[in-house]
Amino acid sequence: MKPRVIGANLIVKLMSVYREKTAMFFTLAFPIILILVFGTIFMSQDNVAFHLCVQDLDQTDSSARSIKTLKSSGKFKITKVDPAVNAARYVRDNGVNLVLVIPKGFERSLMRSMMLSDADASVTITYIYDPSSSSVSTKMDILNAVFAGINQQMSGKPPVIRSAQKSILTKKYRFIEFFIPGIIAMAVMTLSLFGTVNLNTELRQKGIIRKLSTTPITRTEWILSDILYQFILAVISTMAMLLVSYAVFHVKLHLDAWLPAFILLDVFAFVGIGMILTRFVKEAQSAASAANAISFPIMFLSGSFFPIELMPGFLQKFAKTLPLYYVNEGLRASMVFEDNMAALRYSAVIGVFAAVVFILGIIATKWEEG
Amino acid sequence: MTKETEYAIQVEKLTKRYGDLLAVNEISFTVRKGEVFALLGPNGAGKTTTVEIIDTIRTPTSGKVTLLGMDVTKKKHDIVRRIGVLPQGFSSFDRITVRETLQYYSRLFCCVNIDIDALIELVNLKDKTKEQYKNLSGGLKQRLGIAIALVNDPEVVFLDEPTTGLDPRARREVWEVLLGLKKKGKTVFLTTHYMEEAELLADTVAIISKGKIIAMGSPEELIENNTNYLVLTLQSVDEKTFEIVRKMGFDPVLDNHKDIKTRVEHTDDVQKILSAIKEAGALYLGLDVRKPNLEEVFLKLTGEALRDGPVGEEGAE
Repeated sequence: MKPRVIGANLIVKLMSVYREKTAMFFTLAFPIILILVFGTIFMSQDNVAFHLCVQDLDQTDSSARSIKTLKSSGKFKITKVDPAVNAARYVRDNGVNLVLVIPKGFERSLMRSMMLSDADASVTITYIYDPSSSSVSTKMDILNAVFAGINQQMSGKPPVIRSAQKSILTKKYRFIEFFIPGIIAMAVMTLSLFGTVNLNTELRQKGIIRKLSTTPITRTEWILSDILYQFILAVISTMAMLLVSYAVFHVKLHLDAWLPAFILLDVFAFVGIGMILTRFVKEAQSAASAANAISFPIMFLSGSFFPIELMPGFLQKFAKTLPLYYVNEGLRASMVFEDNMAALRYSAVIGVFAAVVFILGIIATKWEEG
Repeated sequence: MTKETEYAIQVEKLTKRYGDLLAVNEISFTVRKGEVFALLGPNGAGKTTTVEIIDTIRTPTSGKVTLLGMDVTKKKHDIVRRIGVLPQGFSSFDRITVRETLQYYSRLFCCVNIDIDALIELVNLKDKTKEQYKNLSGGLKQRLGIAIALVNDPEVVFLDEPTTGLDPRARREVWEVLLGLKKKGKTVFLTTHYMEEAELLADTVAIISKGKIIAMGSPEELIENNTNYLVLTLQSVDEKTFEIVRKMGFDPVLDNHKDIKTRVEHTDDVQKILSAIKEAGALYLGLDVRKPNLEEVFLKLTGEALRDGPVGEEGAE
């Protein structure tokens, strides 16, 4: 193995990508766009406030106080609905998914219940809702929790069961901070897999691989130069993602040597897979489709975007067979939990996987033609 | 002199099959060191398959190929350091300049002392050193390909259809480069379907058709041994002239320029035809009498033309 040969390949690849400004821009821009879009979504989820329409048919001090209580919970932005309109029609016509209706006689029933301790005098608040909306059940769950709190307070008795929250982390992290390591892992995977498959099928289609087969370069030197090239791009891309995350979302992440280590393992694993794929895909167009077919399930199932605990049991088991899962968890262990032992465990798994696919990639890479 | 020192290439009963297709059928030949050897044949004859087996790109189905005394299937790693290859449909990295491309390939061969400027001069690309590959014309790309094939100062140079797809001027510029190689005494293995290219450059020509070598020798030998007639061309003739020649028992062919070509056995036949035209008061503007060329040899041997379509059309081998 000759470093001079690996260096020559690396220089040619870097010069090619540097001179192709559009490709360079999109290579860096894609993960940044993802961070900005998902970051914005998840940042707002940390302080989520649902839009709630309320129709007050009672128009009394008690009903007004109840609306104020809902508002002060911080979970809702209230819009008042005219008592004269039909609530069900309002839901259909205005594209809202729920209208909370406070009935006429609300204050009277409330007083009877409190003053006379009349159990039959409970009051029913109605949710007029659109069941086709995906977020309406969450909204109703929150409303139920708020009303349960009000009921409990009005009963005048202390709660039998209390709950207390205690984070396993010393610092308080937001969801965006759990999200960034997943996006880094996913972006490095995409970069390495697509970069390798696209570059190699293009070079093969153009006959450059055929020409290279008549030079002393070995398959190992070729793949190692590819890994180094993809690693450099991955480091640049990760730096750009982190800069945007710090600047826009003010994330607080722990950065140490595990970050480049996991990026390198991620690159090794997916360049190896890319090389194996290149063996079986002849055209550049089908190469992109094949890379998509592999990367999309991995991307969504290995916990880059959302925790795998949200998935059914068999998918959770499947997720743990995916290489990206171990990069995601490894990066979170080092960047969020600062748990070196966990990072070591995950790096060992992805390291073994990367070594196997790297060797298979070398075997699969074919210089000579049949 | 032993076989190893005399011959750069020895091919024995080489066969290559692609499924049911027999691309190369038990061919045998040798190439002497220092000669320019041309494998001449139409598209699909088996030229590229043959050259790609010899230069280690492909593996044979059976037979033995020895290159510089080494078996090509066993000593690829040693062989590639001593040969230079311009593959068919050569291409390079789009955004890398001429000089950078040559530097890149010289690094692959670990050639520390290679004179890139001399190579650039040899292929006449001095004004294009800073030009990116994608901006070069077809002829310039082929010349760069030849320079790359020479970057390791190889003992044998393989050029697979180096002028296919080029316009006549660019083709002649590539020929100039190849004549320069010949002068330097390099062993050159050339495949082509241009008979004028083989005639101009080659010391030995092997004619290949349907995977078989059907004739081999110097261009002069091939013409001498396979033809015993002359070709008479009468330019810009009228219909009367064509009829006269036909009625005299010859087999004239009229082309789009109103020139007729016919085979004659002896110069006396030319005299007879010209006298008959003169007596009948028919017209022609010029005449040419010459020996047959390789194209006509090929036509005679195989019954098919060397070029199936217009110059520049490419076919898979």
